[in-house]
Amino acid sequence: MAVCLDIKGLTKRFGGFFALNELDMEVTTGNIHALIGPNGAGKTTFFNLLTGLLAADEGAIMFEGRPLGEARPSRRTARGIARTFQNIRLFPHLTALETVMIGEHCRAYASTWHALGSAVLRRPFGEGGVERRMRKNAMELLSLLGLAAHANERASNLSYGDQRKLEIARALATQPRLLLLDEPGAGLNPNETAALDETITRIRDRGITVVLIEHDMNLVMGISDRVTVLNFGTKIAEGTPGEVQAHPAVLEAYLGEDVKP
Amino acid sequence: MLHDLFDGYTRSILVFTGVNVLAAYSFYLPFKTGQVSLGQAGFMAIGAYASAVLTQKFGVPFAAALPVAAVVAGMMGVLVGFPALRIKGIYLLLLTLGFAEIVQVITLSWDFVGGAQGFRQIPFIPSILEYVVALIIVLVLFFARLERSSLGRAMDAVHQDETAAEVMGLDVVRIKLLAFGLGAAIAGLAGALYAHHATYIDSNSFNIMVGVEILMFVIIGGSSTYWGPLLGAGFLTLLPEFLRTLRDWLELVPVAWTDFFPMNRVYDFLHDALDFENAKRLIVYGIIIMVMMILRPDGLLTRDSLRRLTMPRGA
Amino acid sequence: MIYQQLINGLMLGASYSLIAIGYTLIFGVLNLLYFAHGEVFMVGAFVGLYLVVYGGANIYVALAGAAIACAALGIVAFYVSVRPVPKDRPLAPLISTIGLTIVLQNLAVYIFGGQQVAFPETIRQELYHVGPVTISSVQIFILVVAVAAMGGLWLFIERTKLGRAIRATAENHETAALLGVDVNRVVLVTFVIGSGIAGIAGVLDGVKNSGISPFMGLGAAVKGLVVMLLGGLGNVVGAMVGGLMLGLIEILSAAYIGTTERDLFSFLILILILLYRPTGLFGTRTAE
Repeated sequence: MAVCLDIKGLTKRFGGFFALNELDMEVTTGNIHALIGPNGAGKTTFFNLLTGLLAADEGAIMFEGRPLGEARPSRRTARGIARTFQNIRLFPHLTALETVMIGEHCRAYASTWHALGSAVLRRPFGEGGVERRMRKNAMELLSLLGLAAHANERASNLSYGDQRKLEIARALATQPRLLLLDEPGAGLNPNETAALDETITRIRDRGITVVLIEHDMNLVMGISDRVTVLNFGTKIAEGTPGEVQAHPAVLEAYLGEDVKP
Repeated sequence: MLHDLFDGYTRSILVFTGVNVLAAYSFYLPFKTGQVSLGQAGFMAIGAYASAVLTQKFGVPFAAALPVAAVVAGMMGVLVGFPALRIKGIYLLLLTLGFAEIVQVITLSWDFVGGAQGFRQIPFIPSILEYVVALIIVLVLFFARLERSSLGRAMDAVHQDETAAEVMGLDVVRIKLLAFGLGAAIAGLAGALYAHHATYIDSNSFNIMVGVEILMFVIIGGSSTYWGPLLGAGFLTLLPEFLRTLRDWLELVPVAWTDFFPMNRVYDFLHDALDFENAKRLIVYGIIIMVMMILRPDGLLTRDSLRRLTMPRGA
Repeated sequence: MIYQQLINGLMLGASYSLIAIGYTLIFGVLNLLYFAHGEVFMVGAFVGLYLVVYGGANIYVALAGAAIACAALGIVAFYVSVRPVPKDRPLAPLISTIGLTIVLQNLAVYIFGGQQVAFPETIRQELYHVGPVTISSVQIFILVVAVAAMGGLWLFIERTKLGRAIRATAENHETAALLGVDVNRVVLVTFVIGSGIAGIAGVLDGVKNSGISPFMGLGAAVKGLVVMLLGGLGNVVGAMVGGLMLGLIEILSAAYIGTTERDLFSFLILILILLYRPTGLFGTRTAE
């Protein structure tokens, strides 16, 4: 099976504190791969290293067989990595539709010059073909996540759950092959969580590899193909949900309180 | 054409208003990506001196010198734009202010451009008002398109959350540099037009207060729509002129209406109060600015108020 | 020669320090670029002048009067240009204090005329020779007053409860709130103190340059900003030391390089600090 992400010896220090320590990890293409661990285990740091918001101290990340190197976040997005944020980071004054169209920008326009040219040389009235296509795609994504009715509402006016969904729609709009979801279930009610379950599976079925940080163990164990457990920046277990749940180190370090019989 | 429609004084007022509108747009473009510049006066100075040197010292026709002035100012803008990428908020304000000060010191001490004596005898261009009006129309069209384009939306996104924008695949560096550079180029145009109308410039023509006023035009007009800079610059430039004419209007009131108590007292009071000399007018101007920021901190025009104006009721 | 320049530098720097103190205090507690501060300095100079010329006051009364008048002006400024403006728009308070700047400057032009006005001689000019250095009574007076004002402020901030509350707020809002500081009162006191000290700086400027004008505020404001940044936003001691440093740098570069390059230097320093040490030389915190 093809390898989507191949990570070797990834290390990140903040001062003397190891946020991530010599992490080795492989994510298989087409999988839903969950990353779990207590708060402060280094999960979000891992996402920040993958997307280039932080620079690793040591180690290498291969994405689809090629190193990511020191590419800026936008270049990594162009190569096919998208993410959502744990603490929602939408553009408060844009509408839901506009927000998704931001995600599409990097696919619709090869460069900023191209975008400028298209802005200036458009026909005087109405919108050009590119813009119309973007709008249509964006509407499809909003429908996929059940947000079509809110297309023209400002992102900041949406409910918390809808904002989380909009984050996913925006990330999908960049046409990723690898999607990083940072606690998409946080703060959702049971109905919304069930819908999220389905959404993530559907995203995977589109051929997108998903790496998922999540605290909701029912969600994680229900949909994941593989689970990696981090504690204090170190990998303590990896395997199928069943294997991980039975792993003694996991029971001790993390699941202990949650999964008592 | 336009030249013959107005007397010299009105024409001057219109040219200066137009130059201010252009300067306001030069601030608005980088501001669209979240970059606040107090240094647009510095780019105006660069455009003004570049065009003055080309036309007066090398005999280049104005129509050719004007675009060169824009390009020179724009390149300078990209140069300043690079360090500007790294800092935000008050730090960027101070950086651009420092840049404008440095430009001022250089124009003051460089004898080639007149130094402390200033740059004299810049060729007067009679059709300057046409240039100004044409450029404003072009810019309004440009911003109208930008606002409805993907790039315009991307700029808004960069303004609202730079990190999220970068992670969503927007090339934040290019977008910010483009906005800063183009903004500087527009300022260069404004400066060049000013120079060829005033025919004399010196280092003080583009001092800090000019940069501060440009910022004020945009914030007071409303920074969330491209009509804001036009309205703000127009309103604030013409306001002192308007205050000047208030008294003339008062004198048009028929004598019979104000010939009796208490109207005669009211009339005398107003007549005295409107006896505007420069300082008094500017005091009123300052008070209006303060009141505006209390009553309409988002500016005269906002995107929402514009939406309400253009959309039918209940839409 | 070098000693002479050092004294001149300290004199210049002392006035920068006095202005920057107000800036950094107000910036610290409000996170606001308070543009009108330079005009408060200018008003201080004119109040001093009027007290001396029309009130027949001596220079000490003039200093005290200017400080009190400017402190009162600071309160007014706070209530008309800062308090009523919504704080969630980052640029609105800046613009309203620019409006106040325009009002104060033109009020001064209206009342005092647009020309430079001579500041009367209030201290008999005497020259003292100490080794290779010649120092005048005026210079000694200015240095002593500036040092006394800064020392007094330092004691106030270090030794009194209110002073410590101000410093805590200036350096970190959250900590201050946790410590139970009444932020509103702190803000008002900050305006009073910063403005009062600017008033003293204005009178000293008049004494030093023997001429004042309604337009003296803008240049002082800009230099005050540079010093604020040099010392680190919100850092009072940093502003004091930063002012002296900038004064020395300017005088020395003027003496040994050239007068026009002097301003170039201060702004190059500004830009270098912004790029490489945005927390200032004695850094405290960075503002978003």
